[in-house]
Amino acid sequence: MQDRHSQNEQTAENLPLRGIKVVEAAQGVAGPFCGRFLAALGAKVIKVERPPEGDWSRKIGPFLPGNVRSECSALYLYNNMGKESVLLDWETESGMSALETLVSSADILIEDWDRAYREEIGLTTDRFTSLNSELIEICTTPFGLTGPYSRWKSTPIVQLALGGYLYLTGNSSEEPLMLPGHQPDYLTGLNAHNAVQIALWERARSGRGQFLEMSMMENLGVLHQFTFEMETYSGVVRNRNGLQWNKVGPFASYGITTLPCDDGYVAFGASTEDQWERLCAMLGREDLLDDPEFDTRLKRSQKSDTLDSLITDWMKGKTRQEVFLEGSEKWFLPVAPVLNLNEVLRDPQFVQRNLFQPLSHPEAGEALYPTFPFAMSEIKPIVARAPLLGEHTSDVLGGLA
Amino acid sequence: MNKSGYVEGGSLSGLRVLDLTRVWAGPLATRIFGDFGAQIIKISDPRTPVANTNGVNNKLNRNKLSLGLRLDKDSGKGIFRDLVAISDVVIENFRPRVMRNLSLAYDQLKAINHDIVMCSMPGFGMEGPYSEYPAYGTTAEAIAGVPSLIGYEPSVPMPTGIAYGDPISGLHAIGAVLASLRNRDIAGGGQFIDVALAAGPVITIGEFLVASSADSYEREVYGNKHTHQSPHGAYKAAGDDNWIAISVTNDQEWMSLRSVADDDRLSDPRFFEFEGRKQNEKLIDQVISEWVANREAVDLMNLLQNAGVPAGRVANSRQFLNDPHLAARDFFVWLDEQEFGPKQYEGQSIPGNYVDKSNWEPSHQMGQDSRYILEDILGYSDEQCHSLASEGSVAFNRELPTSDQRD
Repeated sequence: MQDRHSQNEQTAENLPLRGIKVVEAAQGVAGPFCGRFLAALGAKVIKVERPPEGDWSRKIGPFLPGNVRSECSALYLYNNMGKESVLLDWETESGMSALETLVSSADILIEDWDRAYREEIGLTTDRFTSLNSELIEICTTPFGLTGPYSRWKSTPIVQLALGGYLYLTGNSSEEPLMLPGHQPDYLTGLNAHNAVQIALWERARSGRGQFLEMSMMENLGVLHQFTFEMETYSGVVRNRNGLQWNKVGPFASYGITTLPCDDGYVAFGASTEDQWERLCAMLGREDLLDDPEFDTRLKRSQKSDTLDSLITDWMKGKTRQEVFLEGSEKWFLPVAPVLNLNEVLRDPQFVQRNLFQPLSHPEAGEALYPTFPFAMSEIKPIVARAPLLGEHTSDVLGGLA
Repeated sequence: MNKSGYVEGGSLSGLRVLDLTRVWAGPLATRIFGDFGAQIIKISDPRTPVANTNGVNNKLNRNKLSLGLRLDKDSGKGIFRDLVAISDVVIENFRPRVMRNLSLAYDQLKAINHDIVMCSMPGFGMEGPYSEYPAYGTTAEAIAGVPSLIGYEPSVPMPTGIAYGDPISGLHAIGAVLASLRNRDIAGGGQFIDVALAAGPVITIGEFLVASSADSYEREVYGNKHTHQSPHGAYKAAGDDNWIAISVTNDQEWMSLRSVADDDRLSDPRFFEFEGRKQNEKLIDQVISEWVANREAVDLMNLLQNAGVPAGRVANSRQFLNDPHLAARDFFVWLDEQEFGPKQYEGQSIPGNYVDKSNWEPSHQMGQDSRYILEDILGYSDEQCHSLASEGSVAFNRELPTSDQRD
């Protein structure tokens, strides 16, 4: 066998999804983020977009500078890297027929048609799998296709609310806060990719495809840390604590806190007994280790304000980077600067991992694009720009005639 | 799953995964493999007590076998190497130097099994200036920039409160491992995968970073405000800490909201379009706040959704666990956790051919499956097991029976 380490140029021919054809009718983030993984791993991803405007994310920013606004949405450009774009209106008879032709020779169909839309256009869940028994069709919707909420509308804040996350972010006495952008959709895209990989694994053995119905609300449900166990094992409802951590229940602890220093905020993540001891040593306050006021995690958590001011005093005159290096190297504490976006793009660790790669787009110009948080020894995922609206229509549909 | 650990059905049945992960991100990843029928051998150091009274260990370690094994002892390492020879995947989330110091780095495992897929999940990655620094989900999200995009006001960032780095890292690991297994099937050969916890949350704020890199992004909105939608926020409903999230994404939804809220102050024609609503957001928020203040969040949600307005009650843990939609979809699972009794957990959100929930196994005691793994999987003799137990390399959870007590 050839030495795969010696390859310096990766093309679709030596990636794990070589030969896999994906049709993506999904819009926004969840389905497209799944398709982005498949494209990066070597699949040919044909994104079908309805005329005249295409994927709705083209209208949502933030935008890159450029004259044609619908080609400059960073949201679209990021989530559709490495795909082909075909204009096709599946709500017309001829469009649906063209989509059926495309899907009958495809391995994977990614769509996000919810129950209300399916009823509106008369689309059953076996429409495509009945044409192609090896097809893996993944349908990501906010609530799934069954159940009392299945005809409801959703947005990220609604999803975070019902999924139990909104309640946990922000100050305890104030309005709970949403996570930025489209987090429920990204988490769903990640798990949709996992679902497709699992189904491909099974298909390689059984030869059969599947219709995979994924609910965003359920995806949020499986990703909670200890929210439900605090309730079911200890009878305590987890609440939000702003910049601090839990102060009631079995997970109450001091040392997970976000505090200001000279040039911004630092996040501390100390929670174990060892880390508490090292935190005290860092602050020069080993005396606290013998103080009965601080001898349990619960007691310490309830003195969070006092302990916060000790750390804040200790950080006076220090920058985030100085605190980060001293805390990590000398005291081996989980601690990190709260970076802004420009700082993230320049962070030396991320830069060394090639986490961002420059790409040029004919309308939106040059920008850095996040790649993947994993590095693999034998596989180098493809990093390529997103398509223009309908850029590949004649190539793809012309080939069908 | 029957007693021997063999899984009937499940898309991933036949795969064997050696799971050295601790805490959250790693066990979450291997739980997915286990739910889909892979054989998960969870390897834990017998000297570290399992904290299972808070429930998190139990939730994350369903459908896994438990082997109590000391990797710092030569005989323990030998058992691990024997397992690597017959396994598909090794997954771990120690600091980078730990596996190297144990002489169990990828190259050393590959010498035992050319096709092994090894996934490491350190805080910052295997190489680079921060590689040996500790990181948790809470600090990972900070360096990834997420709290800088949350908060009530420009100068103060807000952590997610949910240690966001962990679940993202776990989900990435699954996809990368499965892609590598597919690669192994097609081309042969294993893979080393390095998933950096701190890089995970970077990926889910990608659009902001892309725009920022072209000097084209400046955060404009704070709290729960939205650049394209108005009104948009969480409003305090009746009760102690009950809130209703409402987001109006278009003019038609505004008209629906107006008809259910029925307040003259909302009739201003300027509000019929987004710009007018955005400019008068404070007044509109005030009216909505008054309208919802004495109403139940669930009633408001039903009223608004039935009128076609995106709305959701802000669920706490208890409310989520009792959600009627999730119950109707049979999302939850109850597992009998012996000393703790039957416990309700989330099911599996990844659709497909996972092991039937009625056959799911609750988490096992440390070392509960050591004997099965050594004797039935590796073919060790009873005498070898006794000797390993006496030198402390393997924990068997309970006293090993003498040979004549067996059978």
